[in-house]
Amino acid sequence: MTAESGRSTAEPIALRERASATPLRPERPVRHPAETRVADDRSVRPTSLAAQQEWFARAVMTPESEAAPVGASQAASILTAGPKLDPLGRLEIYRHAYHARLIECLLDDYPAVAATLGEADFDELCRKYIATYPSTGSNLNGFGAHMEALCRAEAAEPAVIASRELGAFVADLAALEWAIVEVIHAASADPLTMTGLATIPAEKWADARLVATPAFRLLRFAYPVNAYFQAFREDREPEVPPPQRSAVVVYRSGPTIWRMDLGEAAFDLLHALTSGRTLAASLDEANGALSGVDEREAAARVTAWFRDWVASGLFSSVEFA
Amino acid sequence: MANRFNLPNLGVGLGLRTVHYSQILEAEPAVDWFEIISDNYMETAGRPLYYLDAIAERYPIVMHGVALSIGSSDPLDRGYLANLRALRDRTRARWVSDHLCWTGVLGKNTHDLLPMPYTEEALAHVVARVKEVQDVLGAPLALENPSTYAEFAASPMREWEFLARMAEQADCAILLDVNNVYVSARNHGFDPKVYLDAIPFDRVVQLHVAGHTDHGTHIIDSHIGPVVDDVWKLLGEAHRRARGAPVLLEWDAEIPSFEETHAEALRAKDFIGDGT
Repeated sequence: MTAESGRSTAEPIALRERASATPLRPERPVRHPAETRVADDRSVRPTSLAAQQEWFARAVMTPESEAAPVGASQAASILTAGPKLDPLGRLEIYRHAYHARLIECLLDDYPAVAATLGEADFDELCRKYIATYPSTGSNLNGFGAHMEALCRAEAAEPAVIASRELGAFVADLAALEWAIVEVIHAASADPLTMTGLATIPAEKWADARLVATPAFRLLRFAYPVNAYFQAFREDREPEVPPPQRSAVVVYRSGPTIWRMDLGEAAFDLLHALTSGRTLAASLDEANGALSGVDEREAAARVTAWFRDWVASGLFSSVEFA
Repeated sequence: MANRFNLPNLGVGLGLRTVHYSQILEAEPAVDWFEIISDNYMETAGRPLYYLDAIAERYPIVMHGVALSIGSSDPLDRGYLANLRALRDRTRARWVSDHLCWTGVLGKNTHDLLPMPYTEEALAHVVARVKEVQDVLGAPLALENPSTYAEFAASPMREWEFLARMAEQADCAILLDVNNVYVSARNHGFDPKVYLDAIPFDRVVQLHVAGHTDHGTHIIDSHIGPVVDDVWKLLGEAHRRARGAPVLLEWDAEIPSFEETHAEALRAKDFIGDGT
C-alpha cells in the first residue's frame, strides 16, 4: 500500500438488532421546559379504528419536551387505567419508548458523533432529528440518513450544537459514519481482478470505463475525520481537529468494512474512474493533479494506486464507450 | 405434529443476534433452530444477508417480523409482503410470524408494537389482512400476542378473545409468547390462566419465552436477562396444552455470550420435558 493512499482499517462494527420491542435504556432522562400546558379536551372520542390509531400515534410521537402527550382527562376517556398506572401514565410508556428507541438507533449509527457532542447534546440533536425526520420505512436501516443534513443546518444556524465550527465538523463525521452504514447494506459484487483486466485488448483501454462495486463510497471532507474516527475507535478520546481537507474511500469486502485514506491526487483519479469517465480521461485528470511530480514517479504512483484498488475489490466490471 | 398446520416441532431454538454470528459460524454449536428478525434482513443487500445465508445453510430458520403492522388502518404494504416472501424462499424458513399489533399510521412508523383496540371493526380488518398475507405467502401466517401497556376503553372484548376469534376466522396460526401473557397480565390485572384457557392450542405452532423488567408500576417486555420461574411455569403449561411445540428464547439487550444464552434457552427442557 502506498504512503499516499494511506492505510486500510478493519471495521468490526456489530449493528445491534433493531427490532426489539423496547429500547435498551428506558430510563433515558428528558428535559422538560419550565412551564408547559396541555390542552385537555375530553370530548375527543375517536371511534373508528383509523381515528383511534391516529390519536394514539399522535400522542406517542409528541416530543417529550412537551409535558404530556394529551390531557389526563382525554387519556382517561380513551384508555383504561391499569392496576398501578392511570391511563396517561400508560400512554407515556409508549411515548417514552418511541423516542428512546429511535435515539438508540441513531446512537448505533453515529457513535463518534455522539461521543463528540456528549450524551446530553446528542440526545437533544436526536430529538430534533426525530421530530424533523419521522421514520417512514418498514425498518430502521435507513432511518439515520439525514444526520449530515441536520448537522449542516446546525452549522449554518446553531441551536443544539454549540458552534458553527463544531456543527461543520460533526457534519463531516456524520457523513463518514453514514457511509459505513450504507456500505454495510449495499450489495456485494464479484470484484474485477488484474487477471480479468489483462484480457482487455490494449487498443480498447483508452475507452474503458470502470464500474465501482456497489459497497463503495468515496468521500471528501473539510476536516480529517477518518483520522479522528480511527482515534475514537481506539478509545484515544481525540480532540476536535482544525479544518484540513481529507478524502476517504469506504468499502466492504465480504463481511468486513474498510476505510482507506486518499491523497488529493489519488482522490481525483479514483473519483474520475468511478464517476463514468474513461480510463484515458481519468488519467488526464490524475496527471493534472500530479503536474509537479516527475513523470516517471507520477506513473509509478498511478500504477500502484490502481493495483491497490483492484486488489481491494473496488471495481466490479468494465464497460466500453 | 400437534398443530393443525402440520408444522414441525423443531425443538428449542434461539433468536439469532449479530453478536453471536462469529461464534455460530466458527463453532457450529448444536442448536435445534434459529429464529431471525425478518426485518433485519429486508431492504438490505449486504452484510446481514452474508451472515444469514451462511447460517441458513447449517440450521433450520424461522422468520419473525416486527413491521407487518397487520392491524394498521394504513393499506398493507405489498412491496413489504413481496420482500417477506422472497426472504422466506431464500432462507427456506419453516414458517413466518409477526405480531397482533400495529406499528404506525398515516405513513409514519413508530417501530413499536402498539396495542389494538379489540373491537369488531378491528377484528374484521385484521382477519381480512391476515388472509391477504397468507395468499401472498401461500402458507399460514403465525401471529404473536404482544406485550401491552395500555388498553382502549372502547374494546368490548379482551385480547385473548380477539386472538382466538382472529385465528379461527382467518385460519391462521398462533405464536404464543408466554412472557407476553405474563407481562400483560401484570400490567392489566388478569389471570394468565384465563388467557391460556381461551387459546385454540391446535393453532399454536411456536412458543416464546424471554426476560422482562419490573418497574414496580408496570413490567416492560425488555428481553433482558434470564426468564423468571413464573414464566417458565407458564411455558410448561402452554407446552402441555399444545401437546408439544417448538420453544424459542428471545434475548435482545445486554446479550451475554452465546453459551450463556443457549444455556438459558435449554432451561426450557426443565419445564417441557424432552421438548417433544
